[in-house]
Amino acid sequence: MSIIRAKELVHEYIRRDDEGNIEGIEVALDHVNLNVELGQFISVLGHNGSGKSTFAKHINALLTPSEGTLFVDGMNTSDDEFTFAVRQTAGMVFQNPDNQIIASVVDEDVAFGPENIGVPTDEIIKRVEKSLKMVGMYKYKSHSPNKLSGGQKQRVAIAGVMAMEPKCIILDEPTAMLDPDGRKDVLQAVHTLNKEKGITVILITHYMEEVVDSDYVFVMEKGKVCMEGKPREIFKDVEALKSHSLDVPQVTLLAYELRKAGLPLPECILTRKELVAALKDLRVANASAAALAKPVKQAVKAKATADNVLILDHVSYKYSPDTAYEIKALDDVSLSIKEGEFIGIIGHTGSGKSTLVQHLNGLIKATEGGIYYRGQDIYDNDYDIKDLRTQVGMVFQYPEHQLFETTVFKDVQFGPKNQGLDEKEQIKRAYEALGLVGLPQDLYLASPFELSGGQKRRAAIAGVIAMKPAVLILDEPTAGLDPKGRDDILGLISDMHKKRGDTVILVSHSMEDVANYVDRIIVMDGGKPAFDGTPKEVFAHYKELESMGLAAPQVTYVMNDLKEEGFAVDVDVTTVEEAKQEILSVIN
Amino acid sequence: MLREITLGQYYPAKSVLHTLDPRVKLFSTLIFIITLFSANNAILFAFVLITLFGIIKLSHVPFSFMVRGLRSIVVLLVIAGLFNMFLTPGKELFSFWIFSVSDVGLKNAAYMTARMVILIVGTSLLTLTTTPNQLTDGLEKSMGFLKKIRFPVHEIAMMMSIALRFIPILIEETDKIMKAQMARGADFETGGLIKKAKNMVPLLVPLFMSAFRRALDLSYAMEARCYNGGEGRTKMRPLKYSSLDQRAYICIVAFIIVFYVAKGLL
Repeated sequence: MSIIRAKELVHEYIRRDDEGNIEGIEVALDHVNLNVELGQFISVLGHNGSGKSTFAKHINALLTPSEGTLFVDGMNTSDDEFTFAVRQTAGMVFQNPDNQIIASVVDEDVAFGPENIGVPTDEIIKRVEKSLKMVGMYKYKSHSPNKLSGGQKQRVAIAGVMAMEPKCIILDEPTAMLDPDGRKDVLQAVHTLNKEKGITVILITHYMEEVVDSDYVFVMEKGKVCMEGKPREIFKDVEALKSHSLDVPQVTLLAYELRKAGLPLPECILTRKELVAALKDLRVANASAAALAKPVKQAVKAKATADNVLILDHVSYKYSPDTAYEIKALDDVSLSIKEGEFIGIIGHTGSGKSTLVQHLNGLIKATEGGIYYRGQDIYDNDYDIKDLRTQVGMVFQYPEHQLFETTVFKDVQFGPKNQGLDEKEQIKRAYEALGLVGLPQDLYLASPFELSGGQKRRAAIAGVIAMKPAVLILDEPTAGLDPKGRDDILGLISDMHKKRGDTVILVSHSMEDVANYVDRIIVMDGGKPAFDGTPKEVFAHYKELESMGLAAPQVTYVMNDLKEEGFAVDVDVTTVEEAKQEILSVIN
Repeated sequence: MLREITLGQYYPAKSVLHTLDPRVKLFSTLIFIITLFSANNAILFAFVLITLFGIIKLSHVPFSFMVRGLRSIVVLLVIAGLFNMFLTPGKELFSFWIFSVSDVGLKNAAYMTARMVILIVGTSLLTLTTTPNQLTDGLEKSMGFLKKIRFPVHEIAMMMSIALRFIPILIEETDKIMKAQMARGADFETGGLIKKAKNMVPLLVPLFMSAFRRALDLSYAMEARCYNGGEGRTKMRPLKYSSLDQRAYICIVAFIIVFYVAKGLL
């Protein structure tokens, strides 16, 4: 039975000028045709601005078609009579966990939907309990949402939809703002709903790993459905996905690269298990190859010893010290950071990584211990902390939220202006910085609020680079970006590092992002550095990392699985390219 | 530093006061304010004060918690007291430089300050024993009669509860934006009043943008969950009077009668 059916669905955003004349028409959905069967798990992929969120809002009747029709469980969404019935049938979970929780207590929030549709009191109580149990949040029912993690908030939001007893649930990038642990919990909850309760799920995402288990996938681009099929069929065409600014799971990419290099692997491998099994089959067919000696390990390129730019000496930090709410955010951390290093700091939410980096430019003052910048104690009374902030630049999470000026150029000038530079130098700095982040020149005089998400982020990064810091810290610079945006920003940071030779510290919870770029990884756990070393050294502890709520890149797991199966591979690879070379050298 | 601000803080405890219906507490607070301001002599004043102490005892909220609310308005109290003292005409008691203190002035100042202190302690008892949600529910229900004259009671109650939900989020956001702009060399501390105000622009513009963005998101989320105003809504925890509430009402009425009889006699 079909639950959602779109026929030639068109949605146009019409921009009007002050007098109400039509200024421009933006086609967000362009003759979309699709059909979803009851009980399916559907994924919708697409980069930012591909129309997937607009489509989601249509299923919930938050938007209605400009042309064409959309049926939800047989009801035409354009018909006002059905608006509330449609919303009840197809519930929706949004991206930002904070902005969709209405009440100040968890159970009252879950009750919001049923209250709106006039469910009797005793029935509401039953539904709230049932829904919270479904997502494993029942024990938090009397908590304030402000005290929950992002993943927990999203599960409350899912419970809020489930309490309306829908047939279908639409999730619009529910995991984009979560850390890996939160993502796992949310996806697990969604899968359980689908399998056990038979709820139709429409998951909108740009994390490819989340798509693998779905029944059917739609890929959107420029408001059209440009590819559709089972995950296996979709991920077969790596090139096509790349052309739509998307990527494929690391394992699939590795298998694809190996096939391209001539290994007779089956087409489209989605999971680690499949890849290992396929390689095993290959080894049987090619028995002599396994006997080959292990290749000589490449020497790790040694960096010339450089001076320390920052030293942390037994730094501890407590939130609300000497009260009942005391939290030890940093616990006796000693670190040295060398000039020109490219460092990744990894840890789950609450591990102390953000607190750590905010110490480096004096935004937070340690409760114990000392910090030295180029040999000088930054806590000295006569030390110029404002100067330190220009030396150690800091790009916060979602930096685009700090843009405030009337033009991009003026916003970038803000930092140099505060440094007290003269107008000429300010302009020069801003111009250089904008050039470095690769923002097109015609946008320099545009309002920062008119830019796209990725462009805004570039502009915000330029705002910090314009101060010419010797150390650049970026806190989750790729959060909320689609795969192409993510690769672009990371590539940009890496290029700038090469060009300027500055020290870069990248804070992230994505191992895969970090592994490709940095020379050194510091893993934070419980306010302390748990591991500190090259990516290879750190990922060798992949089992411990997992217990910290982190995960090594997929390829690291593949290599370890292969080793267990008796392949003479080196397990310390961290990128797809290295894994490919390693496997090829063993197999051939 | 911004985290220290507490608004309408609730003190979780198990007491008679905590279990009372919010409407009872709202009504008694109103009565408390009226009697406090109509108490025009020391005996009536003491009567109100003793009743208040009794209720505080019942609330199981530590006394230090009540007084904490006063700290922020000490300056205001002192100024109000001084104005009363110096600017009320009457029989001059003593004077220095250009100021003179009259007997009426002194009395007014004492009453005024005492009233303010008692008022704040008494009303904070309401917020300390009532969760924000109960409070808005109570307001919505007891102001229900205003709906007849098309006053948007439900909407205002909804706005209040949303505001209470988002205040901590926006405080955190302010903290974050402040840090981010400080990392770009912004200065929020030094300079004169005008310079300080100007320096707030990099903080306020992003803060407003964020508030609008959140409001838009929230409106979608509410609509998606079938919100359509107060018509036809049910409640998970509807307000219902218990026998305890009835007894409380009887106590309040008894208090009013005693107070006004005493006032008439004295």
